[in-house]
Amino acid sequence: MQLKLEALPENKGAIITIDSENLDAGNVREFKEQIAPILNGNDVVLLDMSQLTFVDSSGLGALLSCLRTMNNKNGQLKLFAMAKPVQALFELVRMHRIFSIYNTRDEAVAVL
Amino acid sequence: MKALILAAGRGTRVRPLTDLLPKPMIPIINKPVMAFLVEHLKRFGIDRIMVNTSYLSAQIEHYFRDGTGFGVEMAYSFEGRLEDNRLIDEPLGSAGAIRKIHNHSGFFDETFIVLCGDALIDLDIGELLEFHRRKGALATIALLDVPREDVSSYGVVVRDENGRITEFQEKPRPEEAKSSTINTGIYIFEPEVLRHIPETGAFDIGSQLFPALAKAGKLYGLVASMPWQWLDIGQVPDFHSVTMKAMQGGIDGFSLPGRQVRPGVWMGLNVRANLDRCLVVPPAYIGGSAEIQDGATLIGPVAIGNGAVIEAGAHVESSIVMDYTRVGSQTYCRNKILGGAFCVDADGTVLDVRHTDTSWLFQDARTEAATLNPIQANVLADIQHFTGPQTTLDLAAGADKPAGCQLATA
Repeated sequence: MQLKLEALPENKGAIITIDSENLDAGNVREFKEQIAPILNGNDVVLLDMSQLTFVDSSGLGALLSCLRTMNNKNGQLKLFAMAKPVQALFELVRMHRIFSIYNTRDEAVAVL
Repeated sequence: MKALILAAGRGTRVRPLTDLLPKPMIPIINKPVMAFLVEHLKRFGIDRIMVNTSYLSAQIEHYFRDGTGFGVEMAYSFEGRLEDNRLIDEPLGSAGAIRKIHNHSGFFDETFIVLCGDALIDLDIGELLEFHRRKGALATIALLDVPREDVSSYGVVVRDENGRITEFQEKPRPEEAKSSTINTGIYIFEPEVLRHIPETGAFDIGSQLFPALAKAGKLYGLVASMPWQWLDIGQVPDFHSVTMKAMQGGIDGFSLPGRQVRPGVWMGLNVRANLDRCLVVPPAYIGGSAEIQDGATLIGPVAIGNGAVIEAGAHVESSIVMDYTRVGSQTYCRNKILGGAFCVDADGTVLDVRHTDTSWLFQDARTEAATLNPIQANVLADIQHFTGPQTTLDLAAGADKPAGCQLATA
């Protein structure tokens, strides 16, 4: 699990790329550890989901806890470029209503 | 007249539906695709029907038996063997199937029709037969013109001005296709074709028999003069689209089973549902012994299987819920096929709830309700924290109301 970090222009926030095909029980701890300081240090975080093809309940839980963290400090968390299976799971569990989800990076950046 | 329905295939392209069902038994709202086919054959006086079976053969044989229930005569040619009380399927290929039946009793002693057991058709078989006889063909293929961009899924044929087939192309790229006329897998044969099929071993009609017949100039093809429906359940998304089409009245001769309890809402026997306490937008079919709990949302077209349970708060829209599937109260299901532990999106994306550890979404209704593990319980609590519990009607809250939809009214 490797998180790639990129700063948005004008210090607006951060774009994180999850550089893994899975976000599941096997790597969710690592994900949480790596993402925590980024969430703490930025008011706007955009999550590039394009590499992910498999998320399980642990992965969903981790993403929900990211959202809670950002909401608690009135920050913003946006997800973009979700693969089909991940998108399908998000909808089935109704998480598509909870998160701000965009098709592309450009769309996600445009609404900031 | 005599017929052979090809029903031995494994249907690997239609998995996971075919994990438990042979492809011809895939139901369009309770009725197997092959049953539509048998009824259609009977309409044309084709009432002596052989079926070759192999994969999950018993399901086909136990459904149709000797054909009495369908007003025809039917029998089976099983391809495989019994080992340790288990049937092992060993399909012979389509031409091999003809050979085996013929060697058994000389069954094919007159003009006969061969078709695949997994497509819904309303072809005028009379016109095809008339053409076949007029041309003095040994074999005639029912053809269909398709948009050029679709040819890559099919076998393409090239004909001369007399309707004689001169060339085949198997699944060509659109830019390489020599025509946009395709083989539908419906054939009329004379008994003489048997001379072109080897005595033993697997042999295929499309790739082996037809090229030989075409070379001999004895193979013809006809595009019917009237448009006809050929709904092939070739892949999982086809199952979804054909069922949705049937629900919307788009398939000639198809009517929903059961009883119409409100306009556009059909039910089987013994359904537990209070339509005043759940939201049902037609068209909807609810199978026998199903349960729709108060506060559930069904937005048509939806087909709910026999013995299925839709829990309070669940949202099911433009979807098929297979028999004995329990849809959990937190589930938001749109353009899906839900069955036991699998879920397939209308675009073919497959999701396994065991793999994703999301068994609260749906499970087999006959299993004991699973207790949530701590991770699942946390995720569910978190989702509910954001969305509120799903016990109120989605549409009543104004969310996602499709344009022009109407509530089912008494």
